[in-house]
Amino acid sequence: MERRLLLFLSCFCVFTSASFLNEQFDEKLAIRPLPDGRVAATFVFTTILKDVHPRDPRTLQFNDESQHYTLFPLSLGQILREYAVSEMHLTLNAGNWNYDRWGYPDEPGVANGAELWAWMGVNQKSMEDEQWRGLRNALAGLFCATLGSLDDQRTTSPILSFQPHDSLPSFPSQNQSTSASSSSSFHALRHASLPSEHVCTENLTPFLKLLPCKSRSGLASLLNPHKLFDADWHGMGVHVSWISDEGVKLRLTFQTIMDPLRITQSNKRSWSLENLFGKGISQRCPVAHTSQIVVSLPRGDMYAIRPEPPRIHEGAAIYDLNQASINNLRQTSPLPLSIDRTLKGTNQANGYLSLVLTNRLPNDSLKILYLEAMPWYLQLYLHTLQSEVSPIDTSLSSDTQKEAKNDLFKLINYIPSIQHSRPTMLQALLTLPPNCTVTFKMHVVKSFLRYTEYPPDAQRGWDLPPGVLTLLDDVDGKGNKIEIGAKTNRIFYTRPLLVDLATPDFSMPYNVIIFTCSVIAFLFGSVFNLLTRPFVVVRVGKEKKEGDKEKQE
Amino acid sequence: MALLHSLLLKITTRLKSHEIRIRRRRAFGAWLTRHATLLRIILFFIGYAWMIVIPSPRLGRGIYIDENALQPAQANTYWGWGDVRNADRYLEQLEYLRDANATSEHRAQFLKNEFTKLGISASIQAYTYTLGTNVLNGNNAYAVFSSPRASGTEAIVISASWISRIDEGNGTLNLRGISTLLALAAFLKRYSLWAKDIVFVVSDGYLDGMHAWLNAYHGETQSNLLAEPLYLSSGVVWTALNIDYPGHSFSHLGIFYAEGCNGRLPNQDLQNSIYWIARSSGVPVTVYDHIDTPVSSLSFNWLPDALQKEVRIYTQHARNILRHVKYQARGLPSGVHGLYHQYRIDAVTIFGIPATGPHGFHSIGRVAESTLRTMNNLLERLHASFFFFILAAPERFLKIGHYLPSALVISAATMFGGLKAWTDAGWASEIQSTKTYDKGISHQRKHRPILGVITLMASMHTVGLILFWAVMSSWYMNNSHMSFLLFATTTALVLLIAGLYRSHYGSDLYSHSQILKSFNLSLASAIISITTILNFSLAAILAILLGIPLSICIPSSPTASLPTRVLRYIPYALLGVGWLLFPSKQVEQALWHWEVLSVWFVPFVCIVYTPIVLQAGLVGLI
Repeated sequence: MERRLLLFLSCFCVFTSASFLNEQFDEKLAIRPLPDGRVAATFVFTTILKDVHPRDPRTLQFNDESQHYTLFPLSLGQILREYAVSEMHLTLNAGNWNYDRWGYPDEPGVANGAELWAWMGVNQKSMEDEQWRGLRNALAGLFCATLGSLDDQRTTSPILSFQPHDSLPSFPSQNQSTSASSSSSFHALRHASLPSEHVCTENLTPFLKLLPCKSRSGLASLLNPHKLFDADWHGMGVHVSWISDEGVKLRLTFQTIMDPLRITQSNKRSWSLENLFGKGISQRCPVAHTSQIVVSLPRGDMYAIRPEPPRIHEGAAIYDLNQASINNLRQTSPLPLSIDRTLKGTNQANGYLSLVLTNRLPNDSLKILYLEAMPWYLQLYLHTLQSEVSPIDTSLSSDTQKEAKNDLFKLINYIPSIQHSRPTMLQALLTLPPNCTVTFKMHVVKSFLRYTEYPPDAQRGWDLPPGVLTLLDDVDGKGNKIEIGAKTNRIFYTRPLLVDLATPDFSMPYNVIIFTCSVIAFLFGSVFNLLTRPFVVVRVGKEKKEGDKEKQE
Repeated sequence: MALLHSLLLKITTRLKSHEIRIRRRRAFGAWLTRHATLLRIILFFIGYAWMIVIPSPRLGRGIYIDENALQPAQANTYWGWGDVRNADRYLEQLEYLRDANATSEHRAQFLKNEFTKLGISASIQAYTYTLGTNVLNGNNAYAVFSSPRASGTEAIVISASWISRIDEGNGTLNLRGISTLLALAAFLKRYSLWAKDIVFVVSDGYLDGMHAWLNAYHGETQSNLLAEPLYLSSGVVWTALNIDYPGHSFSHLGIFYAEGCNGRLPNQDLQNSIYWIARSSGVPVTVYDHIDTPVSSLSFNWLPDALQKEVRIYTQHARNILRHVKYQARGLPSGVHGLYHQYRIDAVTIFGIPATGPHGFHSIGRVAESTLRTMNNLLERLHASFFFFILAAPERFLKIGHYLPSALVISAATMFGGLKAWTDAGWASEIQSTKTYDKGISHQRKHRPILGVITLMASMHTVGLILFWAVMSSWYMNNSHMSFLLFATTTALVLLIAGLYRSHYGSDLYSHSQILKSFNLSLASAIISITTILNFSLAAILAILLGIPLSICIPSSPTASLPTRVLRYIPYALLGVGWLLFPSKQVEQALWHWEVLSVWFVPFVCIVYTPIVLQAGLVGLI
């Protein structure tokens, strides 16, 4: 018995040290003052599982090899392997990201509510929905979120807009012996979002549990729910991807926008870690490979920063303010693009969807991939699509606007909805002429729901997921356009919408049913009687009538 | 055999019971026909008496909050004297603008700058109405405060118009209302508890600016309005609060609770919440600007003590209800809030009734803050409480069942009249001795000349349509003092049509006249009963104006001379088209409301009301 325990312990030690070498944990906090006085803080916790491949879907029918991790969260690792997930992105955000004021976010997934998309290895076509259901239910359990309701009515597969961030493994090369069945294994994308999801402490706690130091030490000790959930905007993200020469990468992110003016109730734009997060960092995370706090310094303005910028060694925070040495430091620069999507119209039967895009570049047009995943109860009438181009500044209007009019809306990929089950998916390539505001309008029809399909708060309305716009061109600080690869496309999310559908008065269905039934029965009975039976007194001899009756008997 | 016998017995008794039933029914029908006039008189009496009883304190009940989520007056308010100082400072700047005669653009720019200074995105919307030859333009300033962590799918609107609603918006400026709004913007921004976006709108003019803004917000188009699209947008608006504070201080907070365009009312919960909130912050509340003073001009000292109080309350209620009817019947909004209702937004105006004291920015700010907290609590659109009600006093109201039947009973009486006339027109009764069916009188079927009468009615409605076009024309707008000419023309046109009709259908004009009366009464009854649901005040007015006058018109007898017939026609002409002789300001105001706000009172009067009354006149004329 003793020997067995010893053996187990030694095995454990060997394995731990071995796997520790295979895993690397880095943490970073980027703090960026914004032009409107707010402060953006982004926590990124990266764990790399070196030389590991995502699971081959052909092995899904067999028992999986046992998994042992030191830094990588086991609960998440098991889910990823169980459903052969190669790449996965889950974001839980509260608030509407204001691109015009805050610029482009450090972490692009800023859709309000919950958003989940995953590239899964699939061996059999019939299995992909099964895997997707399993994945979202498992994540719902892990993060205490309502991801289970991301059902078929919300799921789409928008391959153009959601390209994998890193590479996807190709399975046939891995396993030569089963080449016969390899032809059927492929990667499938599933995307769904739930704009009405509320993000709260109960989601943060499981998130912190995925970190090797939890929230006890290191940068994660700043993640104080009292302050984070009082922010102007906050969101957490779980991103898993596979890099072919590194391995599986897990990025846990937490992004906030805080308002020092509101927090300190003063008129100063000063901030400190103490007043932003309600505490400081007392201890470093011992397993962290690197741990940095990066503060973007205001450009041009007067500022003071304490403690002095030089690197602080040995401490948890390698507090590096040398902008040149940090390659992915960003300044907030105004974006060339403004987006506004609204649902117009006041009645409960129809309306129109209006998308207003503004390209502020003086000379270059912008290419944008537009994705609309609309639940079935709002039907889009694609043939009513109207576009209108108007220059921002009439003095600068150029001929390019007129030229561009022909290819404003092209490469349309449209999957119509199925009532009560499948959402509409519309993908199109938009070209925005320079210095222009383009308005797209499309008529929509609001469907009738079955009475069992109404939610308990039917009078609130139905949330529609945000539209997703992918900017295919990028722009440098001087406003010049740079062509960039598909993998670093910038994604923009519009605000989610609320739609009113025809809703019965649920406060007294019973009265209404009884009343209408009575009225209809009464009217029908009376009218039917009047139409079919004339009531007259027929004067005939009494005896004769009785005689007739007897005969009939 | 016994079985057969019993069956036979059963059948005979059943047949007998059938016979009895049929006889009974006939007897009842005959009784009804015989006493139809009495029945109508009774129904008319009940209807009118009911209308008189409506303000009685014995009818109606106390207000209550139906939507549990609202929780009015449950939140601690933080609005303090610092914010009042802030509002005072804004007021100084606005007064400077007023004294400098600043243009509309200048004002809007100032407001936009103030919002931007607070860190709230703001913008300006310019609008232009083309009204015949006149042009009405202005600039709205608005700002959207995106609440922390809110998705921006829902929003609350707080608005203040540049011109106050006092004296129906004839020019007093709402400077303190706008100062309150600006100070509120600075104040609300300091809290993170808002669950919905807050949109601040300072609309130009009285009603026109807000109408243009709401139109653009909801993407509606109106042919005579050119409004800039809004650069800032927000989500669905469920509730809105309009602040109107024209005086130096106020003694009471008047709740302009209800009347929107075309008589739409907001959900009663909203008005009730404000009543609770104001009461708990120590601000007295009244309905409209009716400050409760004992009626001094009427002395009720001669009444017993117990009755005196009741009569006093009755007069107060009657005053409030008559004011309500005045707005609702004409479809007139009683303030800026009235424009929201057509977009399914429940809105109320809180109006500081000008007085020397004791309330000011501190009170109105606290009431506004608490109201916004209540609106912020909403999880769903307001749907629980009443949309059809009459507020007799701030804390008493009448449910639909308490007032609706009065007009319906009158409509029923009118319908009975129509049915009676229809029966009378179809049967010629002659006293015959031979071939007795019942006793004495025999009835003979008579041809009913339906087609001619329908043509006549259609022509009357066409006259109404022509009248509407004439009233809408630019000629009328420029020469409204000539409206008696229009009156004379319309009256003469009807006489002409009557003459033509007589010459075409020379014989048996009596039955034509009877059928016309029957159709006219039925049409009036249908219109009254349908309108009761849409706009009770209008239906009540119609019931009063049409009920008895239409019923007492006498079908022309073949022997009546032309002067008699014309003499009978004149009162109806006055009743139908007489409004053209009224002070033209009223007509002009109604026309403005139709053109700018699409209030359908003018088309309704021209195309529905006037033709019906003229047809009643024709009954005696042809």
